[in-house]
Amino acid sequence: MSEENVLFAKQSDTPPAEEIPAESQSDKYLICVSDSLLYGIDAEQVVEIITDHTITYLPRVPHYVRGIINLRGQLIPIIDMRLRLGKMPEDEHCIMVVNVENNVVGLLVDGVERMADIPRDSILPMPTQNPQKLISGMCSLPDGATMLVLDCSLLLHG
Amino acid sequence: MGSGNDSILDMYLYETNTLLEQLDGILLAAEQADTFSQDSVNEIFRIMHTIKGSSAMMEFPSLMTVAHRIEDLFFIIREKGIDVVPETLRPELFDMLFQAVDFFRGEIEKVENGQPLSDSIDSIVDKINSLIDKIQGGGAPAAAEKPASGGGEAPESAAPAAADPSYPFGIQVFFDEGSGMENLRAFMLLNGVKDYCADYLSVPENVENDPTTSEIIADQGFFVWFHTAQERDSAIPAVHAAGSVSSFQSVDAKAEEAPAQPAAAAEAPAAGAPAPAPAPAPAGGAPAPAPTPAPAAKQPAAAKESLISVSLTKLDQLMAVVSEIVITESMVTASPDLKGLRLDNFNKSARELRKLTDDLQDVSMSLRMVPVSSTFQKMNRIVRDMSKKLNKRAKLTLIGENTEVDKTIVDGISDPIMHIVRNSMDHGLEETEAERIAAGKDPVGEIILSARHTGSEVIIEIKDDGKGADCQAVLSKAIRQGLADPDQEYSQKEILNFLMMPGFSTNTEVTEFSGRGVGMDVVKKNVGEVGGTVTITSEWGKGMTTTLKIPLTMAIMDGMEVSVGGSIFTIPINNIRSSVKVSDAEVIHDPARGEMVKFLDSFYPIIRAKDVFQMEQGCDNIEEGILMWVEAGERSYCLFVDELMGEQQIVVKPMPAYVNSFNIKNYGITGCSILGDGSISIILDIANLYNAAQDAF
Repeated sequence: MSEENVLFAKQSDTPPAEEIPAESQSDKYLICVSDSLLYGIDAEQVVEIITDHTITYLPRVPHYVRGIINLRGQLIPIIDMRLRLGKMPEDEHCIMVVNVENNVVGLLVDGVERMADIPRDSILPMPTQNPQKLISGMCSLPDGATMLVLDCSLLLHG
Repeated sequence: MGSGNDSILDMYLYETNTLLEQLDGILLAAEQADTFSQDSVNEIFRIMHTIKGSSAMMEFPSLMTVAHRIEDLFFIIREKGIDVVPETLRPELFDMLFQAVDFFRGEIEKVENGQPLSDSIDSIVDKINSLIDKIQGGGAPAAAEKPASGGGEAPESAAPAAADPSYPFGIQVFFDEGSGMENLRAFMLLNGVKDYCADYLSVPENVENDPTTSEIIADQGFFVWFHTAQERDSAIPAVHAAGSVSSFQSVDAKAEEAPAQPAAAAEAPAAGAPAPAPAPAPAGGAPAPAPTPAPAAKQPAAAKESLISVSLTKLDQLMAVVSEIVITESMVTASPDLKGLRLDNFNKSARELRKLTDDLQDVSMSLRMVPVSSTFQKMNRIVRDMSKKLNKRAKLTLIGENTEVDKTIVDGISDPIMHIVRNSMDHGLEETEAERIAAGKDPVGEIILSARHTGSEVIIEIKDDGKGADCQAVLSKAIRQGLADPDQEYSQKEILNFLMMPGFSTNTEVTEFSGRGVGMDVVKKNVGEVGGTVTITSEWGKGMTTTLKIPLTMAIMDGMEVSVGGSIFTIPINNIRSSVKVSDAEVIHDPARGEMVKFLDSFYPIIRAKDVFQMEQGCDNIEEGILMWVEAGERSYCLFVDELMGEQQIVVKPMPAYVNSFNIKNYGITGCSILGDGSISIILDIANLYNAAQDAF
């Protein structure tokens, strides 16, 4: 809960600068960190952020599906972002619960940074010579960092 | 606003679908008997009347028009008896009615999907009209009267009859379908009429004191007769003002009398109730021969009163809440805080609570149970249509149609059953009757559809007495399709299983009904979705039996909790024969590093859950763990697990769709359940687990 409050506080901090006129063409993204890369997820898809849930191991699924959790009676599969992107797993994490095409899944990430308004036209396609699955685009953030736009439906079906 | 309209639409769709199902049933029974009973004529008339009314209200003019014409047609049949339709015309009549039902169904489906309705109703309306013409042309010439179609249209009078001459001008009033207490409504209407004109005659009379008249009114309408047309016209505002009036029309005594009298004469012994009502009582003397036989005619309406329709989502909600209560109850009574305490009173109350929650569960479960009869009845229609099209005579025998199954399961098995029945009609039964006679069978083919309970399962069998499956043909086809290995020997059972493989269809031609290559595999998949299994048995020349085994309900079951390497699994109690501890010496090894154990003169393979699920932790030493002797279908084996944790009633939750997309069902994982302490246990499917283990080695 507290994390969510932090997020919303951040969100109200950011807009004043230059984004108000472009607001109609901008989308809100939730930026999370996995293996020191910043990933942006469409904020519309994020249901909540949770920590400290026991993950029940599920046999016979791809290794990046860590298992399922019981979130208030609802069963939610957990995808480890590090494993999904071919990285080594880490112990520290939090879970972002996202709703993609009515599939509610949890994404295991290192941490959640903040909410950001990204104008649509500032999102650039991935350079073709560097094709990376799951990423539908990238953009530079005002502070100079680069955010990769995570396509959640590719994440599920890819 | 929008949701209000939606719920009206929902009601309309629900009501119309129910009526159509009812109609289908009546028609099939009537076609068998090749005639309509007076009851079914009335029922069809009522159904059409309701569809007409509600379609008009929902502004679906095409539905309304067709229903209206059929209503007209049945008006004639009702008035004159079914004999008015000559034998030669009857097949045409039935065909037209079935066609109309299909038309309604199609349109309703369009409404459901939000598609525009078709405007081309001319062909069906023409058909009905020509039938009406033929009936009237061929029927008794004396009674060539027009059906009471539009309001106020005065029927032609053909045979002036003994109406009460002083009250020739009438109003026929129909009250809203199912509004109840029609006699009192009629009485109130009369009170209103009195204000405009006090000199009238009502049929039936004595409405305020005789409740049996309400049935006549509901059936025939309520008649008020006047001296003059002016008086009648002046009373119409009162009829307008009266509550619950669905429709009314002016009638002329002579015309109304004409059809009524012969009808009454012809049917008086059988169905006295509807006939006498329209006859205006001579001199107002004896309008009461009707009430006594009336109750027989209206039974269905009375039986309906005790039923309500509830939306399935509400039941689902109820189920979910009840499930949570069951979980919470065990959370409370098995709370770790209570460990080691002696709580006699608490335990007593807990037992009481347990009993009540069990009852609650049973009741809420039973709410969702519906008989399979509606699904079965639909097959009647399919068999009928196909036997006409394919020119094969066949009869469908239904057994145990009152067997109750969970609503979601009924919905899930309707398509598979339909497909199997079609297959039986198309491929199962012999092409010609000569073939059947040559094989020493009844020329009329038979398909038996049966349902029965066995403990936790419902078994549905579709059995035909056709030519059965040709195992050789199936096998060679399977080899051609690359599904079977030509060098391998297959048992008959295995060969029949090829029928259910994707892309297998023995018929080289695609017919209208089956043979599109998506056949039994879809059946298997659909049945699998509701947790069931399909097996086919067949004897060449004798026919084929397809058996669907379906769990009664998927929601709650008794399970045994076991642990393997820190994970908890649930084995359905029904699958467990016993649990055994064995020593190393008792385990028999085979060359392919398989393990077996011998009980009661039989050998059973040992499957280690840890290996099947590729888990890192868990017991390896056979003496430290425990063997669960399990059984599913013909499979019987021992599942090796770490520890037995105890029996528990669990609420089955399906795996999330995303997880299911990895096909874990094939590894014996069907779902999961949430335990009292909030942790998750995985429910095992014993049969699939065995298959997975076989594939793994």
